[in-house]
Amino acid sequence: MGNPLGRYLLTLRRLWGTALAMQLEYQANLLLEVVAAIANLIGSLLLLSLFYGGGRALGGWSWPQALVVLGVYTLLEGITSTWLRPNLSTIVGHVQQGTLDFVLLKPIDSQFWLSTTRLSLMGLPEIATGLGLMIWAAAKAGIRTTPWLLCQTLLMLLASGLLLYSLWFLVATTSIWFVKTWNAIEVLRAALSAGRYPISAYPAAVRTLFTMVLPVAFLTTVPAEAMLGRLTLPWLLLSLMVACLGLALSRAFWQFALRFYTSASS
Amino acid sequence: MRSSAKGSRADGSPRVRPLRPLQHGFRVARALLASQYALMLEFRAEVLLWALAGLVPFVMLAVWIESPAGAALGMGPTQLARYFLAAFVVRQFTVAWVMVVFEEDALQGRLSPMLLQPLHPFWRYLASHVAEQAIRLPFVALIAALFFLVLPWAFWLPTPQRALLALAATILAFLLNFLIQCSMACLCFWSDRVNALERLIFIPMLFLSGMAAPLEAFPPALRRLAEWTPFPLLVHFPAQLLAGGEMNIAAGFTALAVWIAGLLLLVTLLWRAGVKRYGAMGA
Amino acid sequence: MAPSTSPIILAEGLSKTYRVAAKDPGLAGTLRHFVQRRYNDVAAVRDVSFQIQPGEMVGFLGPNGAGKTTTLKMLTGLIHPSAGKALVAGYTPHRRQANFLRRITLVMGQKQQLLWDLPALDSLRVNAAVYGIDDAESHRRIHALAEMLDMGNELKRPLRKLSLGQRMKAELLAALLHRPEVLFLDEPTLGLDVNAQARVRSFLADYNQRFGATVLLTSHYMADITALCPRVLLIHEGRLFHDGSLEALTQRLAPCREVRLELAEPWPLDSLRAYGEVESCEGMVVRLLIRRDALTAAVSQLLADLPVRDLEVRDPPIEELIGRLFVQGTLS
Repeated sequence: MGNPLGRYLLTLRRLWGTALAMQLEYQANLLLEVVAAIANLIGSLLLLSLFYGGGRALGGWSWPQALVVLGVYTLLEGITSTWLRPNLSTIVGHVQQGTLDFVLLKPIDSQFWLSTTRLSLMGLPEIATGLGLMIWAAAKAGIRTTPWLLCQTLLMLLASGLLLYSLWFLVATTSIWFVKTWNAIEVLRAALSAGRYPISAYPAAVRTLFTMVLPVAFLTTVPAEAMLGRLTLPWLLLSLMVACLGLALSRAFWQFALRFYTSASS
Repeated sequence: MRSSAKGSRADGSPRVRPLRPLQHGFRVARALLASQYALMLEFRAEVLLWALAGLVPFVMLAVWIESPAGAALGMGPTQLARYFLAAFVVRQFTVAWVMVVFEEDALQGRLSPMLLQPLHPFWRYLASHVAEQAIRLPFVALIAALFFLVLPWAFWLPTPQRALLALAATILAFLLNFLIQCSMACLCFWSDRVNALERLIFIPMLFLSGMAAPLEAFPPALRRLAEWTPFPLLVHFPAQLLAGGEMNIAAGFTALAVWIAGLLLLVTLLWRAGVKRYGAMGA
Repeated sequence: MAPSTSPIILAEGLSKTYRVAAKDPGLAGTLRHFVQRRYNDVAAVRDVSFQIQPGEMVGFLGPNGAGKTTTLKMLTGLIHPSAGKALVAGYTPHRRQANFLRRITLVMGQKQQLLWDLPALDSLRVNAAVYGIDDAESHRRIHALAEMLDMGNELKRPLRKLSLGQRMKAELLAALLHRPEVLFLDEPTLGLDVNAQARVRSFLADYNQRFGATVLLTSHYMADITALCPRVLLIHEGRLFHDGSLEALTQRLAPCREVRLELAEPWPLDSLRAYGEVESCEGMVVRLLIRRDALTAAVSQLLADLPVRDLEVRDPPIEELIGRLFVQGTLS
């Protein structure tokens, strides 16, 4: 009861228990999601294989190496439907119905609350196929897992997940001003679909765009490089920095939006 | 769909002033389109964002241009750029979202009053799709202009015949997609979880329609398989017409006609059975 | 109010001005708006000051748009005041410190915080964690509050399956689980039937008694106010118009009382005018409006002079007075 961390952890456990109960309440059709995940995987593999006919390679990545990237992408898609979409879409609803007031009156960080309340089982099949593909493809690429490699990969996956979260949260925050901007999330998703392929598969100008402006490179290519054991230390540090920067930015932007909300709402 | 045109005659109420069906239909269409256009104008910000969300062909173009696979296919950068721009444009005007709207209307209880009107609800949805496309048009033109600004070497003007054929194919492709959505929307009468189907149908749409790769790049067996489905007709066929690629034009239009006729029949049957069921449940 | 203890709610010159962008309708208006924005300042709350002592139950009255909700939101810290100062339980509300939030609660009749698809009990468990209440204690509190609210198994049923009244009770329970000292209630009985209203009312009185909590309540139903609040604040067009008892408010709004006479025989109208303003005179039933300070004298005079069969003195109903005030939109 005393320490705040314990309180946040307990809240989280309760929230997720509640979220799961909610899923069971509507009996989400998980079977359908399994089918969708498999169909998606087959489609992605087919599409990728089109670039590999006749001994060609994609941006200097071998077939199994590119599969690791695809695995990371699939994993992130799964995380999106399990965590990001269910939570961040509620911000729009809160703003529309005025129930954001209740969130702001709880003695708990509002960003934490809005980012963790929901949890959906929908993305689990994709998380599973993504992880499976990553592990299988890395083995196929002849990677021997060492603890150091594993740590590195997990760290980069964490950084990529946080970066993805920051991007989503930034877009979701804009709905404090314009409810309609929630659709911008679909634009973001379409743009992030570039992460299916290693960044070196793109022309130089696009590559710069996807590294500097929209950090797609840090979402999938960097974690895949880590898993393949060829990530250099500067890139590792850069990736961590980008993730922290994204997180800080999302936090600052939320505080700014909130200041606007609390001084302007009626 | 067809039964709806007769709806005004079948309702059994005495007519005050007999209107010729064509005249009546024209009036209804004009009123519907005008109101739906006004409504969609309110949503122009969303329409712009939806238009931007269709940028997958551009991402794929970037990969294809850089990959030697494009050259192996016999499609140089120019041809690839034209194909994917055409795919983007065609996709913009063949999007349909009947299912989502219909499900919401059914859940919110707006369906019953619509069933009481002597107009099939799907006509209303058709009008709002057309209105939305009218709003989309300037956005799409702008994006295309930007595209040529970035890649000026890809600029082309299709021949008048090709342009007309592509327009016809795009309209038919839209109708086909609209009917696919209508047939699935009818399933709302049986299940309340139809929106999950939306997700399933999106997968072949992405991979088989030609949005992500020209069908010419598919292995022959896969291409034959894809051509048995309606998906390549939705993007690949009109896009190749527009981009000036080699096409079996007659076969494409025949396939469109057959699919549209079949789905029209299916939707009519499903709708009748569905409404009967809806009535039986006393909703 | 005798300042024997320090006030728990303090408002000093509280003001809120919104800047509203003015836009003409139509495309031309939109374009002009885009090029050159014009703003109108709308004062929602102007220079409102009052103090509330711990344990008081205060009714907050005013027509729609008078600034009640804006004031409540400033006191709960949801919006920043444009000018003036608010102090609740010793905290500046808009800093929204955790210790402040633990001491207050806000219940809005038209909004709900509980999860629609789940039993209230699940939401309550989450709230218990958020407010750092341990399991045994939260069990005890839920049990006690449920008893006070006369609730049983409803807490275990998904919220969407409850009636409006049951849902409101569950909302109250959730809002009070952390045992706040200050309750801000915005239309807590909105849309409820008469029985449910009465139950919510008696619960609030009970809660106030038992825990000494301070309550600031807005309601459209005057019965809520008359039953619960010895003191009322009336806000009109953003300004505090009255702070005192309901009775005093009635006196201010209606300086006259109504005297209804039933006479044994008809009486000339002109001679009646000497006693007060004649509101109506139908046959032998006369209704007179007489100033409060002259009432006693006038009544004894009436009884002496006229063949009175029956006499009744009453206040015009407060609802009517305030309603009239709201409709007219002007105060004398």
